[in-house]
Amino acid sequence: MNKFNLTNINFGRAIIYFILFLFAFIYLAPLYVMFTTSLKDIEEIRSGNLMALPLDPTLYAWKKAWATACTGSECKGLAPYFWNSVRIVFPAVIISTILGAFNGYALAKWKFKGSEFLFGALLFGCFIPFQVILLPMAKLLGSLGLANTVTGLVLVHVIYGIAFTTLFFRNYYVGIPTELVKAAKLDGASFLKIFRHIFIPLSTPIFVVTIIWQFTQIWNDFLFGVVYSGSGTQPITVALNNLVNTSVGGKEYNVDMAAAIIAALPTLVVYVIAGKYFVRGLTAGAVKG
Amino acid sequence: MLNFLEKNLPKIVLAPTAVAMVVCMYGFIVWTGLLSLTKSRMMPQWDFVGLDQYSRLFSNPRWDVAVDNLFVFLILFIVIALVLGLLLAIFLDQKIRVEGAIRTIYLYPMAISFIVTGTAWKWILNPGLGIEKLMNDWGFAGFEFRWLVEQDMAIYCIVIAAIWQSSGFVMALFLAGLRGVDENLTKAAKMDGASTVRLYWHIILPLMRPVFFSAIVILTHIAIKSFDLVQALTGGGPGYASDLPANFMYTYTFNRSQIGIGAASAMIMLFGVLAVLIPYLYSELREKE
Amino acid sequence: MGSISLNGINKSFGTTEVLKDINLDIKDGEFLILIGPSGCGKSTLMNLIAGLEDLTGGEIVIDGKDVSEESPKDRDIAMVFQSYALYPTMNVARNICFGLEMNKMPKNEQEVILKKVASLLQIDHLLDRKPGQLSGGQRQRVAMGRALARSPKVFLFDEPLSNLDAKLRVEMRTEIKKLHQRIGTTIVYVTHDQIEAMTLADRIAVLKDGELQQVGTPYEIYNDPVSHFVADFMGSPGMNFIECIVKDENLIIESGGQKYELSIPCKDAIQNSKLDVVLLGIRPEMLTEIEPSVEKNSFIHQIKFDVDVLEPMGADTVAIGKWNDNEVMARLSPEAGNTAGKGFDLQVDTSKAILFDPNSGLRIR
Repeated sequence: MNKFNLTNINFGRAIIYFILFLFAFIYLAPLYVMFTTSLKDIEEIRSGNLMALPLDPTLYAWKKAWATACTGSECKGLAPYFWNSVRIVFPAVIISTILGAFNGYALAKWKFKGSEFLFGALLFGCFIPFQVILLPMAKLLGSLGLANTVTGLVLVHVIYGIAFTTLFFRNYYVGIPTELVKAAKLDGASFLKIFRHIFIPLSTPIFVVTIIWQFTQIWNDFLFGVVYSGSGTQPITVALNNLVNTSVGGKEYNVDMAAAIIAALPTLVVYVIAGKYFVRGLTAGAVKG
Repeated sequence: MLNFLEKNLPKIVLAPTAVAMVVCMYGFIVWTGLLSLTKSRMMPQWDFVGLDQYSRLFSNPRWDVAVDNLFVFLILFIVIALVLGLLLAIFLDQKIRVEGAIRTIYLYPMAISFIVTGTAWKWILNPGLGIEKLMNDWGFAGFEFRWLVEQDMAIYCIVIAAIWQSSGFVMALFLAGLRGVDENLTKAAKMDGASTVRLYWHIILPLMRPVFFSAIVILTHIAIKSFDLVQALTGGGPGYASDLPANFMYTYTFNRSQIGIGAASAMIMLFGVLAVLIPYLYSELREKE
Repeated sequence: MGSISLNGINKSFGTTEVLKDINLDIKDGEFLILIGPSGCGKSTLMNLIAGLEDLTGGEIVIDGKDVSEESPKDRDIAMVFQSYALYPTMNVARNICFGLEMNKMPKNEQEVILKKVASLLQIDHLLDRKPGQLSGGQRQRVAMGRALARSPKVFLFDEPLSNLDAKLRVEMRTEIKKLHQRIGTTIVYVTHDQIEAMTLADRIAVLKDGELQQVGTPYEIYNDPVSHFVADFMGSPGMNFIECIVKDENLIIESGGQKYELSIPCKDAIQNSKLDVVLLGIRPEMLTEIEPSVEKNSFIHQIKFDVDVLEPMGADTVAIGKWNDNEVMARLSPEAGNTAGKGFDLQVDTSKAILFDPNSGLRIR
C-alpha cells in the first residue's frame, strides 16, 4: 500500500469525480436547453445561443404550446391531446396491471401442465417488433368498431402490455415461498382467498414497479398512437410530433420546446418521485425479460 | 361444479390472456406472414404470389438504405452505449458521495418519450441555431455542424440521441450487476495482491457476462423497434437517408398503400429480432440447467 | 380420532418414481416419524397425506374414510413447515386464527381458541407482532400454534426443527414431545435427524429411494434393523461394519493384521446363510476399554486397537481408529486420555452383534 501515497489516490478520485460530473452535465444539458429555450422569445433564440440564460423570461411559448399551437389542421394546442393520453393511460395501466397480477400469481404458484409453456410463449411477446402486428390489429379494431377510438387504443395497450405485467408479477411471486400457499391451503383458503389475504398484501412494491413501467410505456408510446388514433383521439406524443412538423408561419422553437416538456412532464414527475421503482422495473424487465 | 371451478381457477384466470396471446400475437404474426406472400396493395387480398414481395423489397433501394442504416445504428449504438454504461457504472461503484443524485441524472432520459428526445435533439443539432451557433459564439469561428441535413451524416444524429437516452439505462444494468458481485471475491483478490485494474479486468468483467448479454439484447431490441426517434428527429430525411426498417415499414404500409411490401418488411424485422433472441434464450436456458 | 392408512401409495413425477408401493397404518394418537436421507421421498409422502400433491396410485384413508381425492381443506389436517411459512403480513394472532377465519368461525370463538393456544405455547405476549419481528424459536411456536388452533385430526411436521440452532432444537424437541403427551393427537413427523427420530417417536418408518425399509419402535429400529442401510442410518456415532470370514459357527477377522476368532449369538443364522463372507455389524458402545469387573463370557473378546482420532463428547469419548485394517469407532470413557496415535487393547462385546449379507445388505437371522 505504501506505493500509493495519498495524493495519488486523491488524484485518481478527482478524475473519477470529474468524469462523473462531466457526464451528469451532458445528460442534463438537453433538458436545460429545452427549458431555457422555452422561456425565450423567438428574437432572443435567433440572436443568442443554446446555453445562454433567457434575458427576459416569458411564458408565451408555454401558453401557446398548451392552448393555441397548431397540430396539423387544428390549432388548440396540446391540451386536448394531453387529456386524450390521460384517458388512454389510466384504464390501460389499471387493467393490464390487474390482469398481470392474476396471471403472474397463477403462473408462479398454481403451475399446471403447460403453464410453463404458456409463460414462455407469453415472454416471447415482450420481444416481437410490433410492426408485425400493426396491420392485422388495425383490421381487428376496424371490425370491432373501435378504429380511431380511445377504447381501441386502451385495448391495444392492454393486450401488448400483459406480457410485461405478467412477467413482472410472475418473477416477483416466484420469490415468495410456495410453503405459504401450502399452509394457506391447509388452512382452508382458496385460490382467490390466498391471493387476496396473503399475496396482495405482499405485493405493494411490484404493483408500484408495474404501474410505473406501464404508465411510462403507454404515455410515451408513439407507434400505436399514430397508427390507431383518429384526429380527435390522438395521444400527446402524436400531437407533439405534429406540432413540431407543422410550419404555419415561422418555426417557433420555443413553442416546440415547451410542448416537448409538457409531453415529458408526467413521466418525468413519476421518475423523480419514484425513481427507485422505475429503475427496478427497467432492470427486472431487462434481466429476466 | 364448485369443486371443478376451484380446481381450474388458475386456468380460467389465464384463459383470456392465452386467447389474446394466441390471436393477437401468434395469430397476427401468421396473418402478416401470409399477407407478405400476397400481392396486396391498398387492401389485403389473398392472391398468393410466393416471395414476390420479398424480392421487390430486397431490390428496393430505400429498403437497402434502411437496412444499412440499421447496421450502422446498431453497431455504434450498442458499442458506445455498452462502453459508456460500463465505465460510468464502474466509476459510480467507487463509493461516490453523491451517487444517488448522479444516478438519477444519468437515468432520467429513459423516462422520456423518444418523440420528446427527438424534438429536443432536433433543436440542439439545428444547423443554424444549435450547437454550431453555440460553438461559434464560444469562439470557434467557422465550426460547422450540419449533420442533421447531410445525407451521409443524419443517421449519426440518431445514434447520438439514442445513446443519450439509453446509456444511463445500461449504466443501471451494470451497476446492479456490480453490486451483485460477492464482496468476499473482491477481498480475496485484493489479498492476492491484484491491482484495481486487474481486479476489474480479470475477475469482475467476466462476471458481468450475463449483463452484457441482456444489455445487448435489450439494446438490439430498442434499435430494431426504434421508429419514433427517427420520426421525430429527422423524419427519415433528408429524403430517406436516415430511414430505419421500422420507418420503411410504416411508410410503405400506411402512406404508400403497399401493404404487401410493408408486411414483408415487418416479417424481416421479426426474423432479425429472432436471430438475436433465440441464441440468447438458448444460452439462458442452458445456463439454468 | 385420527388414524391414517396408506394403501399402496405410488407417486411419480414424469417418469421418475418417487414413492413405490408404500403401505403403512398409523394408529390414532400415534407419534410416527418418517426418516430417511434427503431425496428419499419423505416430504413428498407428507405432501400426499396433506393433499398438497395428487397421488399417482393407491389410496389414503383417514379415520376409515378414503380422502385420496379430497382437497387439503377437507382433510382436517394441520401442518408445521420447515420454514414455518407464517403469513408475513399478518400478526401472530391473525396467523393463528387464519384457518378458523377461513372456516367462518365467529370472532368470539376464535378469541377463545387463540387465548388457549397462546397460553399453551407461551406466546401470549407476541400476539401483536409480525413474523419478521420474531426469533426463530418464537416463529416455531407460532407455527405450532397455527396448527393447534384448528384442533385437527392429524398434525404433520415437516422437519420443523432444522432451522433452529442446536440448543433451541433440543428444547423444542422436548416441548413437542410434551405437547403430544398432552393433546394426544396423531402426529406424522418428517426428519432426517435420527436423534430426533429416536427421542420423539412411538414408531419410526425408515424410507430409502421411495421404498419403506422398516417400521418399528425406536428400540427395534436401533437394535434389530432389517438391513445394512437401516443399521447404518440410525445411531450416532454410526454402527461399525466389518467383513468377516465364516468358519463353522464363528467369524474370522484376519485381513491386514492379527487373526481374531469371534463368537457371536446367532450361530444358526451363519450356518443357514451358507455364505463364506458376512458383514458384522457392531455398535460403537460395544467396543470399550477393558473393564476387569465385567464378567467374562464367550462374547467378550480382546482386540488391539490403533487410535487415529479422539472426539471427546463430554459424557464419553469416541475413538476412531483401526482394528486390523478396518476403520472402527469405539466409545471410551471420558478419562481415556490422549491416546491418539497410540495402540492399546479394547474389549469387544459381540452379544448384540448382528450380521448382514454383504451383497444384498439384508440381515442374516
